[in-house]
Amino acid sequence: MSDGNVTPIRPAPAKRLLVVDDAALVRAYYRQALEPGGFLVDEAFNGIEGLEKALSGPYDLVVVDVNMPKMDGLTFVHRLREAEEIACLPVLMTSTLNRDRDVAAARAAGVNLYLVKPVSEDDLRLFASIMTGAAER
Amino acid sequence: MATARTTQTAPESVTDEEFGRFCDFIYRRTGLAYGQAKRYFIDRRILDRVEKTGSATVQSYLSLLRFDTTGRELEEVVNSLTVNETYFWREEHQFACLATSILPEVVRRKRPGQPVRIWSLPCSTGEEPYSIAIWLLENWPDVDRYNVEIIASDIDTKVLAAAQNGVYDARSVQKLPKWVLDRYFQRLPDDTWRIVESLRGSIEFTRINASDKAQMAAVSDVDVIFCRNMLIYFDDVSRREAAESMFECLAPGGFVCLGHSESMSRISPLFDVRRFPDAIVYQRPPK
Repeated sequence: MSDGNVTPIRPAPAKRLLVVDDAALVRAYYRQALEPGGFLVDEAFNGIEGLEKALSGPYDLVVVDVNMPKMDGLTFVHRLREAEEIACLPVLMTSTLNRDRDVAAARAAGVNLYLVKPVSEDDLRLFASIMTGAAER
Repeated sequence: MATARTTQTAPESVTDEEFGRFCDFIYRRTGLAYGQAKRYFIDRRILDRVEKTGSATVQSYLSLLRFDTTGRELEEVVNSLTVNETYFWREEHQFACLATSILPEVVRRKRPGQPVRIWSLPCSTGEEPYSIAIWLLENWPDVDRYNVEIIASDIDTKVLAAAQNGVYDARSVQKLPKWVLDRYFQRLPDDTWRIVESLRGSIEFTRINASDKAQMAAVSDVDVIFCRNMLIYFDDVSRREAAESMFECLAPGGFVCLGHSESMSRISPLFDVRRFPDAIVYQRPPK
């Protein structure tokens, strides 16, 4: 075996996540949960800012809350699915609402995964890894 | 005979050189190490002692301190440095009480997603509000179910600026476990620690004079007030007025946490005393 044929294994680039939530401490919580998993995390504090940032991406995943001022999470996902450049971006929605109709509304909007709060740090990292194809670190 | 009248005014600032000499002296005599990260805190104590001893200048105060053979001034200044000193996780049993007893009761009156307002008054250089944020992130399982708003206020704009900057010396963070330091702080080259940006952005800093009723009236619907070791510096009248202002700022059923040497029962009859396993706190009656 010759050294000349060995291709060095490059680490995969870190996955980029956008967290959209109006609560600053919740954004800090998600960041603290996700960054140790090797994710690069950006933040937006409502759906409008979230869309602006998503369009200026690229991102590998959006984590979005439901109840937010100005533009809520469901409207955000509707708009995202309508925008050609970002229509395929995976969306993980977190919410305190756990009725069947809440989950159905999220699915109809185009949400890929719906988690009911409280969401543990381990679960956030696990599902973010699955949805982005990142190896858990 | 003509007499010259001189007006003696108290010095208003401490030079870098005076600050350095003071810190060297205190370190050599007591082992207490202070650096630039505590600059505002130390300057305020020095100027306070300059005034109380009637010294004309900081320079003359430093001489008095150095050559006072009775040791009384050294004792006074060390007391002023340590009694009111703030640091991360100071009286952490109250943060435990917040997460395990107070907030579960507060959120029973709220819908998920509603704001939970916590107010650090006075916040000094920020150790208390950041401690609250870290404690909740680590210990309150419902932290992502509610919109926790942490407001941090002080009368002193310089300490507020330091709080927003979020840089601390080793002494301020010495009670924190290493994993908390690693998780929430960035180590800077001069052996100081900077709180991570996401936490700095999670706290709303505002200047408020707790003795000013109009300023206090602008704050409302607060669920928990941390007001530790401030009222002890007020006279009886100001103390009662500040307590009444806090009562008005609180939502019905809201709580006040005081310092361990303080008791609301001796200040105002408005509050109910609540004895939780981790701490005694004071509550505005729910209705």
